[in-house]
Amino acid sequence: MSDSGGTPVLRAPGHQVSPRAIPFWTVSALVGDALLVIAATLAYVLVPDAPGWVGLVVLLLGVLAVVHVLVMPRIRFRVHRWEVSDTAVHTREGWIGRQSRIAPISRVQTVDSRQGALMRLFGLASITVTTASAAGPITIDCLDAEVAREVVARLTAITAVTEGDAT
Amino acid sequence: MIPVPGDGWVRLSPRKLLLDPVKAIGQALVPVVVALVGVSQSDMRWWPYFLPLAILAPLALGAIPWLTTHYRLTEAQIQVRSGLLNKTTSTAPLDRVRSVDLEASLLHRVLGLQKVQVGTGVDDDRITLDALAAADAQALRTTLLRRRATQPAGDPALATHPSEPLDGLPPTPQPAPVLLARIDWSWLRFAPFSLSRLVILAGALGVFSQFADNLPIWNEETATSVWHWVNRFAVVAVVAVLSLGALVSWVVVAVGGYVVQWWNFLLVREHGSLHLTHGLFTTRSITVEEAKVRGVRLTEPALLRVVGGAELATLATGVEDGVTQVLPPCPRDVAVGVGGAVLESSGPLTFPLVEHGPRARRRAWFRQLRGALVMAVVAAVAAWWFDVSWAWVAALAVALLVVAALVGEAAYRHLGHTLTDRHLVAGSGELARVRTVLETDGIIGWVFAQSWWQRRIGLTDLVATTAAGDERVLVRDVRLDVAVALADRATPGLLTPFVEAAS
Repeated sequence: MSDSGGTPVLRAPGHQVSPRAIPFWTVSALVGDALLVIAATLAYVLVPDAPGWVGLVVLLLGVLAVVHVLVMPRIRFRVHRWEVSDTAVHTREGWIGRQSRIAPISRVQTVDSRQGALMRLFGLASITVTTASAAGPITIDCLDAEVAREVVARLTAITAVTEGDAT
Repeated sequence: MIPVPGDGWVRLSPRKLLLDPVKAIGQALVPVVVALVGVSQSDMRWWPYFLPLAILAPLALGAIPWLTTHYRLTEAQIQVRSGLLNKTTSTAPLDRVRSVDLEASLLHRVLGLQKVQVGTGVDDDRITLDALAAADAQALRTTLLRRRATQPAGDPALATHPSEPLDGLPPTPQPAPVLLARIDWSWLRFAPFSLSRLVILAGALGVFSQFADNLPIWNEETATSVWHWVNRFAVVAVVAVLSLGALVSWVVVAVGGYVVQWWNFLLVREHGSLHLTHGLFTTRSITVEEAKVRGVRLTEPALLRVVGGAELATLATGVEDGVTQVLPPCPRDVAVGVGGAVLESSGPLTFPLVEHGPRARRRAWFRQLRGALVMAVVAAVAAWWFDVSWAWVAALAVALLVVAALVGEAAYRHLGHTLTDRHLVAGSGELARVRTVLETDGIIGWVFAQSWWQRRIGLTDLVATTAAGDERVLVRDVRLDVAVALADRATPGLLTPFVEAAS
């Protein structure tokens, strides 16, 4: 029992994700937001007789996009943390909301690693650990590709020796 | 006769030769009639060629599945082989058989047949034998389930048991089935209060309205004169008659549906499984292995609760959708009793829940009021657009807010959690009161999810992930430290490396 001394709190997982995650998130947010803002601006310019307040909305959208691109990756880098102990996987993620996920390694069913084209450019990889529950997959986003390989190898080694059908 | 292990391949019941053509003719009827009409209009000479074809083709098509489908039992597996051009063989290890479901439509029952579905614990992957003679289907079910139930007898630790014959033959006598619940027709009083069949009535009304459009009486002139007549004499009477009519048809549909669905309802425990049978026209027989039942869900929809009724479902792994309704709408005591029997402990369904406190109440209210405000704003915009009096908007907004406050308060009252020695219990629901009980052994992970609003006031949604039922059990709006302590106690050791005590 850990609730003997004071109120129990969940401590942050031990490791941060790769620092290269910040430029990666910036670039992917930039691409998405730029498309959205350009589309909105084009629509505003091309549609004749659009009332003035629509222009304000488009402007607001642009400002929000800039804030999103500048702020989100930094907050996210501070929040995202992960840890793989001998018995459990623990991650924390989010930037407005916050999610902590814990799964016992004995119940892990698959360990996947994924590397998109943009992630490869930044030398990053993501790991997804699934359990028998559809609500339970745990993703460790944007690890250093080298670290990701080690973690996958370690997880696979541990899960290989666990018995049972993990339900 | 079902094959014993070692026998060769066996066909399905020969009566399937009658079943499939009837089904095939039913499906082919419309195209055949259309073709016949077309042919007869063009030329009568083709009739002698066409008619036999129209009758023989379904017969031949119907015979193919029977000719090509075989099954057999080996010492370790049940195997089904089917297909004419593409041969498929499905096998299931006998010790992996989790459920054996029997189903018979009206046509099946006239022919004395039953459809057998064997589930092996992997979702969506079931072996289907359509159809066996009813007695064979029962025998197959018993064989499969008993075989699984006697598996532990091979365990060396149990082999020394004094009552066990040395060579394992004959098999140990099975404990008699235990009756958990059977239909009690006084439960029919709950049928009108269960709204699950409202959809059917709405559908029927939709069909009727389509039809009413074509009625000759329905033109503008009659409508206006009828309206005048109604206005002048009998608004109250007409409304009363219409409501009474709707009420009566609702009661008839609800009671009729209840009778058709739950006729001969029986829930027993045998061979380490829960065995459920019901149905008037289509009979269903569902078997769920008890070791795979990880919990239950007790639901009291608002209307049903007024008259003291409840529904019960089991949460299991390896069943098609995980949530199996095992009781019709019935008295709450019965549902709690059966739920307690399934869980082998009555506490989880009767213990009071730990409340989540004033901040959770604020969240529950806020969540509902937010929806009401959005709707009020939409109504205001619409009123401005269509130039409707603001008094109506104000009245609507007040009504919405009152309803939202009531629903919010109800949602908070239903909220709660508790932990017994083997079960995690979560209370939820807005209009319905829902109590979800999950074995702590079935928890395979935790998610603490906080929205921005929740973070500001130190609350969290705690989700226990599981392979059973809906695969998640949500404890909503609980204080973060309470959530951590709850998760820590429910799965001892799992959170220990990640928990520290804040002073």
